[in-house]
Amino acid sequence: MQTWSRIHRQLAALNEGTSAIFRVCVRLFFSSIFRWRLGLAIAVVIAGPVAAAEIQALSVTEIAPGIFVHNGVQEEASPANEDAIANIGFIVGDETVAVVDPGGSFAEGHALRAAIRLHTEKPIRYVILTHVHPDHIFGAAAFRGDYPDFIGHVKLAGALAQRGDYYLRRLQGALDEGADGTEVVPPTVPVADRLALDLGNRHLVLRAHRPAHTDNDLTVFDEKTRTFWLSDLLFVDRIPVIDGSLVGWLKQLEELTAISADRAVPGHGPVSVPWPAAAEPEWRYLAAVARDTRAAIKAGISIASAYRQVANSERGQWLLFDDYHPRNVTASYKELEWE
Amino acid sequence: MGMTPGILGRAALCLCLIVWALPGSALAERTEEQRAVRWADLRHAIFGDRSLQDAGELVVIDVPARAEDAAIVPVAIRVADTLAPEIRGLYLVIDDNPSPLAAHFLLGPAADARELATRVRIDDYTYLHAVAETADGRLYATARFVKAAGGCSAPAGKDQELAQERLGKMKLTLDQRVKPDAPVKTKLLISHPNNSGLQMDQATRNYIPADFIQTLDVTYNGEAVFRLESDIAISEDPSFEFGFRPSDPAASGVIKAEVLDSSQRHFSQSWPVPAAPQM
Repeated sequence: MQTWSRIHRQLAALNEGTSAIFRVCVRLFFSSIFRWRLGLAIAVVIAGPVAAAEIQALSVTEIAPGIFVHNGVQEEASPANEDAIANIGFIVGDETVAVVDPGGSFAEGHALRAAIRLHTEKPIRYVILTHVHPDHIFGAAAFRGDYPDFIGHVKLAGALAQRGDYYLRRLQGALDEGADGTEVVPPTVPVADRLALDLGNRHLVLRAHRPAHTDNDLTVFDEKTRTFWLSDLLFVDRIPVIDGSLVGWLKQLEELTAISADRAVPGHGPVSVPWPAAAEPEWRYLAAVARDTRAAIKAGISIASAYRQVANSERGQWLLFDDYHPRNVTASYKELEWE
Repeated sequence: MGMTPGILGRAALCLCLIVWALPGSALAERTEEQRAVRWADLRHAIFGDRSLQDAGELVVIDVPARAEDAAIVPVAIRVADTLAPEIRGLYLVIDDNPSPLAAHFLLGPAADARELATRVRIDDYTYLHAVAETADGRLYATARFVKAAGGCSAPAGKDQELAQERLGKMKLTLDQRVKPDAPVKTKLLISHPNNSGLQMDQATRNYIPADFIQTLDVTYNGEAVFRLESDIAISEDPSFEFGFRPSDPAASGVIKAEVLDSSQRHFSQSWPVPAAPQM
């Protein structure tokens, strides 16, 4: 270990040297930010009242009585779409309102809140966070002033601790000032198995799931309209992202499709789809990835090239296929090579 | 392993992190000159004034030019048949990673130096350097450029519960039955988060502690195949593909892997290796 220790002392010294330059860069950067912020502050003071009136309410569709969903665009996060790429929305009861995913940025959360206020003045009592991915929950800070319960899977807090900072920096990289105000908001109410909410003559049943899309997926069932809000356990048109467990997801789908509902809300795709018919393409893709990845591992094909021969029949069936399919195969390979 | 370098290293990492926190636009793409200076510095830090020969075809890095997942980039170092018997050490350097020396393999008498593969995290578009060291101290260097970004601070752990349950478990696959005169191709998986310590918990403003494999010793019938000295650059659930040569292929044996991680946990596991069929 002596060589290793010596080398590390040398490398540490080297990094100290470069970091002096970095520190100067950091100072310069922040001083320019400060000037910019000051300018903005002055602009806001002047234009404040106008700006406040100009908050654009997010467009929402009432898919069933009292259930409103915004249709996320099928794109990657960009300054133009403010990370409004997922299906998010709210459910209105006789007494209170529950938000199901506050959106992908502070800006989107703010616009969702404005949309809620176009429909109702009832208090926003719950903000449900369906899983750790930023396109669904990074708008949470826009609801802080409502003092709601922020409800998430029991594992959401840990996942946010691991990933929140990284996601935030990535969002800042993608949106620049479009990410302003976006914060990581940890859940205040964990769900380990089930949780029933009463919005006033309207019961919601929240279920925490075993690892599938992520290891912290939460679904919402509205008993009044038999609407099953699956969020990212259901992808329609857009390629599913495997970030929990492929085998687990296939197993979850068996259980979920056995639940009868009048309609489902996917995390990506149309705002309302027939259930369980809409799960068929997702099941087909995941099953193909599992089958072909197992075959690739057995044939000794490396993790780097496996995706080229996995689930090729699915190419052309999904939006953003090339953006996510190789990573899905890498993740599946890593999971399945332990079998 | 003294504590000081570790702490210094972590402090340096934290300083680097401040820079990563800036939006991408604040950092211009490095020029070739800057990359050359970086390598000159690293080379001096690792090898001092020793001279490095251009390896040409003798040592090759095999890595995808563009990584699909920067947290799991497969890298293989291949050494030509003619040079392999002389090789006693292999260094893998990822120039622009926060902790650039990703791995140092010390090869034992049972090793086959012709191919060693693992998976690494890559934090930015960077050169990878592999340096092979002979028993008499000659150094052969080669480089490859890789387009990948965000691997070191990228979130690991798709299933945290499973990661805890499986911590330290290993899986070994022998690619083929032992044949006389041929090395036994082997794949070793170790379940370990190999956490980089570069993920900040926004709720507590603390960094999730680094937790990584420091050394891995692989032996066959007590004879060293290799020792790995390593760091946070190795991907979660470290994977190693290597070959070894039994001193007596006609006899069965036992291959053993021993891990020491940065939390001072020891893990070890052994697997039987069947004898080669008699010719």
